[in-house]
Amino acid sequence: MENERFARMQKTTRLHLGMEATETLQRLTDFPDQPKAMDYFYDFFRRTFADGLTLPPRPAEQKVIGTMCLQVPDELIVAAGAKPLRLCSGAYAFDQVGAEMLPAKSCPLVRATTGMLHANHPDWGRELAAVVIPTTCDQKKKCGEMIATMPYPVYNLEMPSTKDSEASRLYWQESVKQFTLDLQGITGRKITARSLQAAITQGSAASALFRRLDDLRKSGGPVIFGKDIFLVTSGYFIDDPERWGNAVHHLITELEERKQAGLTVGNRAAPRLLLTGSPPIFPNLKVPILVEQSGGVIVADEVCSSNRLLSDGVAYDQVTLNDMVPAVADRALKPCTCPCLTPNHDRSRRLVELIRDRGIEGVVYQAFSGCLPYEMEQRQINTTLSGIGVPMLYLETDYSPEDQGQLATRIEAFIESIIARRRKK
Amino acid sequence: MSFFTGIDMGSTTIKIALIDDHEHCVAHSVCPSGSHFHNNTREAYHTLLDRHRIRPDQVTAMVTTGYGRKLFKEADASISEITANAAGARRAGGEDHHIRTIINIGGQDLKVILLDDQGQVKDFAMNDKCAAGTGRFLEMTARNLEMEVDQLGDCHRRSQKVPLTINSTCTVFAESEIISLLAHGHGKEEVVAGIHYSIARRVARIAKRLGVQDTVLFDGGPALNPGLIEALETELMREVVVPKQPQITTALGAAVLARESFYDRREIANG
Amino acid sequence: MNRFRDFINTIRISRLRFWTQIVAFLLLVYGGYLAVNIGNELPTFACVFTDQRGGSCYLMGFQHQMSLPWNRLFSGRGIGVVMGFLTFVGIFMLLNKAWCGFLCPLGTIQDWLTAARRKTGLMYATYGEGVFQRLSTIKYILLALLILLPMAIGNSFFGLPKLNHDFGVPFCMICPGRTLLPIFQGDLSQLAIDFSSTTKMVLTTLGLLVTGLFLAGAFYKKRFFCLFCPMSALHTIFHRAGLLRLTKNGTKCTRCGNCYRVCDVGIRAIADDLDHHNIVKDDCMMCFKCVEMCPEEGCLKITFLGLPIYQSTEKGFFTRMGRRTHGK
Repeated sequence: MENERFARMQKTTRLHLGMEATETLQRLTDFPDQPKAMDYFYDFFRRTFADGLTLPPRPAEQKVIGTMCLQVPDELIVAAGAKPLRLCSGAYAFDQVGAEMLPAKSCPLVRATTGMLHANHPDWGRELAAVVIPTTCDQKKKCGEMIATMPYPVYNLEMPSTKDSEASRLYWQESVKQFTLDLQGITGRKITARSLQAAITQGSAASALFRRLDDLRKSGGPVIFGKDIFLVTSGYFIDDPERWGNAVHHLITELEERKQAGLTVGNRAAPRLLLTGSPPIFPNLKVPILVEQSGGVIVADEVCSSNRLLSDGVAYDQVTLNDMVPAVADRALKPCTCPCLTPNHDRSRRLVELIRDRGIEGVVYQAFSGCLPYEMEQRQINTTLSGIGVPMLYLETDYSPEDQGQLATRIEAFIESIIARRRKK
Repeated sequence: MSFFTGIDMGSTTIKIALIDDHEHCVAHSVCPSGSHFHNNTREAYHTLLDRHRIRPDQVTAMVTTGYGRKLFKEADASISEITANAAGARRAGGEDHHIRTIINIGGQDLKVILLDDQGQVKDFAMNDKCAAGTGRFLEMTARNLEMEVDQLGDCHRRSQKVPLTINSTCTVFAESEIISLLAHGHGKEEVVAGIHYSIARRVARIAKRLGVQDTVLFDGGPALNPGLIEALETELMREVVVPKQPQITTALGAAVLARESFYDRREIANG
Repeated sequence: MNRFRDFINTIRISRLRFWTQIVAFLLLVYGGYLAVNIGNELPTFACVFTDQRGGSCYLMGFQHQMSLPWNRLFSGRGIGVVMGFLTFVGIFMLLNKAWCGFLCPLGTIQDWLTAARRKTGLMYATYGEGVFQRLSTIKYILLALLILLPMAIGNSFFGLPKLNHDFGVPFCMICPGRTLLPIFQGDLSQLAIDFSSTTKMVLTTLGLLVTGLFLAGAFYKKRFFCLFCPMSALHTIFHRAGLLRLTKNGTKCTRCGNCYRVCDVGIRAIADDLDHHNIVKDDCMMCFKCVEMCPEEGCLKITFLGLPIYQSTEKGFFTRMGRRTHGK
């Protein structure tokens, strides 16, 4: 009886997921002058989301380790011979599953991730060797307890809630060292200085590629829409790093050619916007799509599913584990601008620098309703931005498609007001 | 003589405003949206033109706004109701009032718009998904109390006692609250006043979060209701300005923007 | 021009430093064989006890001058003292703290010891922040002593008897440069304890102890001795005015801490100080590893007379990290 109900839930969820992915891909591709190289990513998500959520092919003996936040150092997982899989989900279909287990006011991302692990348990229960949850925000922390009962082997990676003191840095390094030891037990593979060095290089290569891609948005007419960038980085969550890297490389080559030829996507003079706040993750690309349908273009972002995920590189001084493991730990904590850290002045500073560097005319601040850290930081960010005379649109939203009409009106008005500002100048 | 048209295609009513080259409103009309947005709009538009003996080719530019704005293909452009409302409020407020805050209650939404000293949109807030506390809510409660919407204001004025508390602005829950209040022997007048106050409180909450600046303009259909005006002034703790035709400010704004963009384009064309 | 600049910014300055250090070491320790002498006021440990050196450490002459009685110091002789000092300051300001990072023979020996430790796979030692703060004051005490002790030879303080001449160059007696650098010319005589007087015996014994500490310390802790170096303390007074500078643009800094991670002398301000443009701190030796490891475009810069010569770039960072793995 119980099993039958679960099977029905799973079937419905898969159907919903497929519909949702198809609809989003339809809207993503419904823009003129799209780069050809984006097709890889559209196809990737079409395949991956067609039937539940299928993991990309990998060697049979390779273990998969799920991670919840970007603070989990992927490099260590790769060095231990496993595949890191970022679990944070953007699917409304999974959100609806999770909504039955979590409070109504909880964050949709946490609900969707919990729901995904629940709905995919028959397959993933065997496949995931661990679900690593750093102690970032309260909801991520507490959902771990629920995930452990499904059951999945949950690993709580202890993280400080501040990063400014030397003590917090050392505490985090200790915690990552412990994780390194435990990880070897989970995968049964020893992490060596050489394997970690190779893993760091792999991570750095992805960062270097992302930065090259991101740099193309810095100035001049837009050569790629922000919605596509979010799709590319959502792909990094799941895809095989080498295939992902090749696809991004092709994309960069095409965009560089376009830039040379003076081709742009959309209006050359479209208002240049920055998106910050809660992370857009496929298929929840509602806000970026609406923004760019309304005539704006997102040329920069400050979110943990994109810029924050792939901007930083590890710096180590010598090829020994006792230097490289803390180096990897530092990369995950020190530059982090997640609002679960207090104080978080680095986030305002980063925004101001991006605005200055990229000629940003307006900031769209997305907060998932229920994500208190982002909702609370909204005020201080708004104060900072009005201090430098940049308007900000604060959108409180979730994964449901219902508020799109309302959002569209507000976004259009915001973009119209930016154009009106230009006229005044 | 050339004219400019603004059409506000709202969820409940269609508002049309025609201005001449000096931005004087020469004609306007309000009619229900009905189920055939497009047809009703065209019909209302041509009726208005006929009544004022204006030929369609005398209309130089037309801009639509409101949530049905994309549905009327004859228009030259469409613009969001927030920008249109701001432009309309600058005119409707008149010379004496420097409008810095607009409170607009429509058929199914509720907006607070802040303007900078140039009259440009600085910030704005809207109700989210739910239509609680909007024009539709007033209509429903009027129906429950067996009266017309335009009688609510007078009814409010007749109330002698402290307004009753209606806790919910959700149509469904408010309905049961009203029935139970009436069943307890309270007068309709106090119930109506209570409804007005509950809407005004909700509006004030949104407005305060955004930061109210003087002068406040209150427009949209419900701004015809003196009871609601009184309640809003109490809750906002300041006077509000209500234009003579509060329903058509947004349509007027669209017409003004139609004229501006026409001249902007001509300027560009003439170099 | 841009491509040239791009190329410059992708080089590994550590490599450049490695070779510069070798050349400087050869020049300063063996220069005499080629009749090279680049001056007697060098702001670095070109030790006077090394016969065929290519220049001389200023501290030796400085200590000598300090032992002159007041009346001679403030007579015509004083002009020479002041001129010497000005020469020292001038030479120093030209390259600023890069004297320590690129040229100092004692620094180079320490870096070689670090490289040796690295080969063994042993981890380097670090200090806690508090310990670091306390230890770094020692160099100022040493600087004060190397001025005050010689002064007490030529003059009487508070009516106390004058010190004997064995205290003439007190710091040289305990400096590991005196014991170690002559060895490179096959001269082991400085390793002996001098029993000619009690003072000399104590000082030379202390010298050997310090040498032992120097070798062991530098093996485990990167640039261990630099923390206590009185020459570095003397630099402190002028480094803010150096012509060669390390600058930081705080607005571009993400505080990722890469620079602090690789800093051999553990200067935390390089990562956390967002306000100062001139970011050379007291213990900095201008090795520029921080600039190499900074991924932010133009955040850290090396400038000479205000002109940028090398700066952190995204491309430079990722190129260097990539090359490193491929064993180059």
